[in-house]
Amino acid sequence: MLSPAPEEPLLLAELKPGRPHQFDWKSSCETWSVAFSPDGSWFAWSQGHCIVKLIPWPLEEQFIPKGFESKSRSSKNDPKGRGSPKEKTLDCGQIVWGLAFSPWPCPPTRKLWARLHPQVPDVSCLILATGLNDGQIKIWEVQTGLLLLNLSGHQDVVRDLSFTPSGSLILVSASRDKTLRIWDLNKHGKQIQVLSGHLQWVYCCSISPDCSMLCSAAGEKSVFLWSMRSYTLIRKLEGHQSSVVSCDFSPDSALLVTASYDTSVIMWDPYTGERLRSLHHTQLDPAMDDSDVHMSSLRSVCFSPEGLYLATVADDRLLRIWALELKAPIAFAPMTNGLCCTFFPHGGVIATGTRDGHVQFWTAPRVLSSLKHLCRKALRSFLTTYQVLALPIPKKMKEFLTYRTF
Amino acid sequence: MGGEEKTYGGCEGPDVMCPKLISFDGQEFTVKRQHALISGTMKAMLSRPGQVAENETNEVHFREILSHVQSKVYFNYKVYYTNSSTKIPNFSIAPEVVLELLMAANFLDLLNKLNYNKTADEIKL
Repeated sequence: MLSPAPEEPLLLAELKPGRPHQFDWKSSCETWSVAFSPDGSWFAWSQGHCIVKLIPWPLEEQFIPKGFESKSRSSKNDPKGRGSPKEKTLDCGQIVWGLAFSPWPCPPTRKLWARLHPQVPDVSCLILATGLNDGQIKIWEVQTGLLLLNLSGHQDVVRDLSFTPSGSLILVSASRDKTLRIWDLNKHGKQIQVLSGHLQWVYCCSISPDCSMLCSAAGEKSVFLWSMRSYTLIRKLEGHQSSVVSCDFSPDSALLVTASYDTSVIMWDPYTGERLRSLHHTQLDPAMDDSDVHMSSLRSVCFSPEGLYLATVADDRLLRIWALELKAPIAFAPMTNGLCCTFFPHGGVIATGTRDGHVQFWTAPRVLSSLKHLCRKALRSFLTTYQVLALPIPKKMKEFLTYRTF
Repeated sequence: MGGEEKTYGGCEGPDVMCPKLISFDGQEFTVKRQHALISGTMKAMLSRPGQVAENETNEVHFREILSHVQSKVYFNYKVYYTNSSTKIPNFSIAPEVVLELLMAANFLDLLNKLNYNKTADEIKL
């Protein structure tokens, strides 16, 4: 499954924000979120000082150095430079914490929507949702950079956002006000549900690719799984020892990973609630005493698009790449003050954001999935764990299909 | 896969050693008997009581051959895109064959592990 010699992630490019004209003491410069649009044509980056940058992908030549062996010469100037006409700058007016792109709705839906809603703003285009400091959510049209909608309801920072992958334009938001909210963008951004139950700040939310489950994680150490059909709680996943700050489903919805300040990432079966494995982030050279154990708090975890790798960002200044079946990372890259990471949807690149408002793009392992894994991924995209266990197939095959073995 | 009829190592005309396999969509493939027997399903079908009579063509019609076609397509996909710098496209698998295809892939995986490389090569997976 793996290439024989996994390569260390190489830094492809680094983008830095331009210096603002006036230093605004109210705003901060962290890059809390980075995101690619699901079709891979745009990259969004909350670069601090209340600004979100939208960049068409792939990056223009000027940002990529010749040859990947050396780190890029990063320009001190605003990378917008002489101006790519399509690049957009969104001024949100306050700190931006969460970002999410909508999936591009499929053409029949788009036409139907436009026919049924001639008077309302056209949201049947690629949109970006931004979660802000005071609880507002701003909805922007990517192509033009125009503000489409303002969603109010949350009482505190909107830390994370997630659209349903089906393109139904249902948006989920996670907030420090301890709630998650469901918004219907087909109806002017009407709030259709409030999900209560968390006791502390909700840090993250993620919808499974088959749109059946919503995962949310908060400061009180447990992870909640909600049904996206009935908006009710399915189960709580216990196991982390500290705040859980990041979560992601595998592309076939069969696995859930969560990352915590307790230095571990846990992989779960979301259908049964079982813990499948824990990935511990220890230092490369373990200290003699335990005083440094908190250096490895996790900040972010994400699955690769083919479902065979994970990328994690931790406070010990390392980006790690993990292969699902192994206990130790397969590759490391140094990165200081990392906060977030995401894979390019077609594979090959990982984007990370840091506290100083920079983003980096790294090479990710390019792997050709084995035929067995392709079959597993195809099956698990529509079969739950229980349905797999009911199939008339050998036990070893069930273990493979439910990711108990690899 | 293309619709061309392949002959395999001199099997032409009615030949008990080279059964002709016909998929449900009409594709025909001629394979050496010993290879066909590696699949438990095919072995059972080829060794039905009431053996092929001389004036009957040695044909087996069954649906599962589609998964064998798909595994050959996968092999080509793998050879082409391994160590290639172009974007790797998705390899789509029809839902009706995915379970059978998984069994086939698992079996060949096992063959490789047991070092039956020659046989695996001959099937070209």
